[in-house]
Amino acid sequence: MSSSPSLYVDRATPLHRLTARSKLALLVGVFTVAYVFDHPLWVAVPLVGSFVALVLAGGWRNFRRLAYIVGALFVVGFVVWPSFTPAGGPVVVDLPVVRLTRRELLFALGRSERIAAFVVGGLVFVTTTSNEEIVAGLRSLGLPYAFCFALGTALRLFPTLLGATSTVRQAQAARGHEVGRGGPIERLRSYVPLLVPVLMSAVRDVQTQSMALEARGFDTRGERSFYDRRTFGGADWAVTLFGLALVVGGVGLSVLGYGNV
Amino acid sequence: MREILTMWRDTRMIMLVAVTAAVYAAVLIPFKGLTIIPGITSVRPANVFPVVFGLMFGPAAAWGAALGNLIGDIFGGTLGPGSAFGFVGNFFFGFVGYKLWGNLGGLSSGVRPDFREKAGRQLVEYAVVALVASAVTAAIIAWGLEVLGLFPFSVLGTVVTVNNLLAAAVLGPPLLYLVYPRVESMGLLYTDVMRDEDLPTVGHGRQQAIAYGITAVSVVWVVAGIAVSVGVQGVEFGAAPGGDVFRQGGSTVQIVLGAVAFTVLFVMSALSGERLSEMTAPATRTRAVEGGSD
Repeated sequence: MSSSPSLYVDRATPLHRLTARSKLALLVGVFTVAYVFDHPLWVAVPLVGSFVALVLAGGWRNFRRLAYIVGALFVVGFVVWPSFTPAGGPVVVDLPVVRLTRRELLFALGRSERIAAFVVGGLVFVTTTSNEEIVAGLRSLGLPYAFCFALGTALRLFPTLLGATSTVRQAQAARGHEVGRGGPIERLRSYVPLLVPVLMSAVRDVQTQSMALEARGFDTRGERSFYDRRTFGGADWAVTLFGLALVVGGVGLSVLGYGNV
Repeated sequence: MREILTMWRDTRMIMLVAVTAAVYAAVLIPFKGLTIIPGITSVRPANVFPVVFGLMFGPAAAWGAALGNLIGDIFGGTLGPGSAFGFVGNFFFGFVGYKLWGNLGGLSSGVRPDFREKAGRQLVEYAVVALVASAVTAAIIAWGLEVLGLFPFSVLGTVVTVNNLLAAAVLGPPLLYLVYPRVESMGLLYTDVMRDEDLPTVGHGRQQAIAYGITAVSVVWVVAGIAVSVGVQGVEFGAAPGGDVFRQGGSTVQIVLGAVAFTVLFVMSALSGERLSEMTAPATRTRAVEGGSD
């Protein structure tokens, strides 16, 4: 967290060259495929695809930063999901503390993969799309500029806050406050003293950032122009159609009974 | 309700939307692992922020809570069709606080929510605000998942109400005590940032009547929704959200009840006012106008 807090990685990969709109269309397709299927083998397709795309786009560092969250979501989901589906098929895990049927195991694995696919897919998008491109892309979809700006800024501030938490944590540690030690409750309580400084540093920045914006002529009511606005080219159309095909194909195959457990 | 739209004219309000969304998402995501209903909800200490920020940042907190929850859904792996209702529900989670504060008649403390004076009465008022905000959020999300045919209303209605209320009620007062005076001295309360003409001009009587109305509709919607689930749909009260109730939503009675309740809520919100701007000291406003944040 000591390096740049932004999740955007400035590279010149094919994914980076696409417009935000076509990447959003692709993301919708990937999310749909991950959502409509239950079987882990089917859900693995969007998960592995997203992960490979993330690594190729230079997002390995981002994945490492959020790996503990992805890991926790995956493991907890895998443990909890079996109780959310009826048992079925032969018993494949029979231990004194847990007894799982084949259906429960596959269902839990598929659901955990789905969660991971969402996180990794979202990471691919923010790794390959700068804040300005996100705002311009959402604006081109017809959303009000101020709303797009707020969303883009929130996405940029989110990792900044994680960075600020790390800084405050180090400052508190230098004063003898130990964070993240002991049991779960003790760990949670140790984070409380970080809350107010992190919160206030974020709020304090509102004044300076607002002044900086207004000094540069920020006005939400006028029509916006964007520096380096990209045209929606052939590659964008191809990716958008691919995203659409993923949606239609995924829903269609699911309705036909494929990919279920 | 016009402040919901007019706030987008002010740069600082837009930045407060972004800060609220970022803070909410940043605290939501690490706790996604503490699952209550996988893929739907988890233990959420971050639920304190929409209510607390709502009392400080007003409409910016409403939009920020909605956006923050959406970002949390995307990066926490819980994005799905229910996220649209999560967006609307969390919008109201941040919206209700500044609409109700000061408008609850005998339950109101009559002072701003800094817990410096009349602390006992402020606690009561805050508890009511947290309850109503939690109830309306739970009702909208539970209704949404019922409409989508995923879960009966009672499952999400109870879980989300309790989950939201616990975080907001327990963590809210100390957080406001610590943060409110600092934000006030920075001149970043919505009452300081927004121009008077951008705030709703509604008489005290109507403000109070609508605040009571929002309170009643929110609580009645949750209670009635749970009662319909238990009484009409035959869902066991307190049923764990397990496989036997998954995909058991879609009750026509629930859908109609929710549609009526949401319409009434929306109309009342559109006609509502706010009282916090009258509680902000003139000195604070002067500081804000002069830009003396530090």
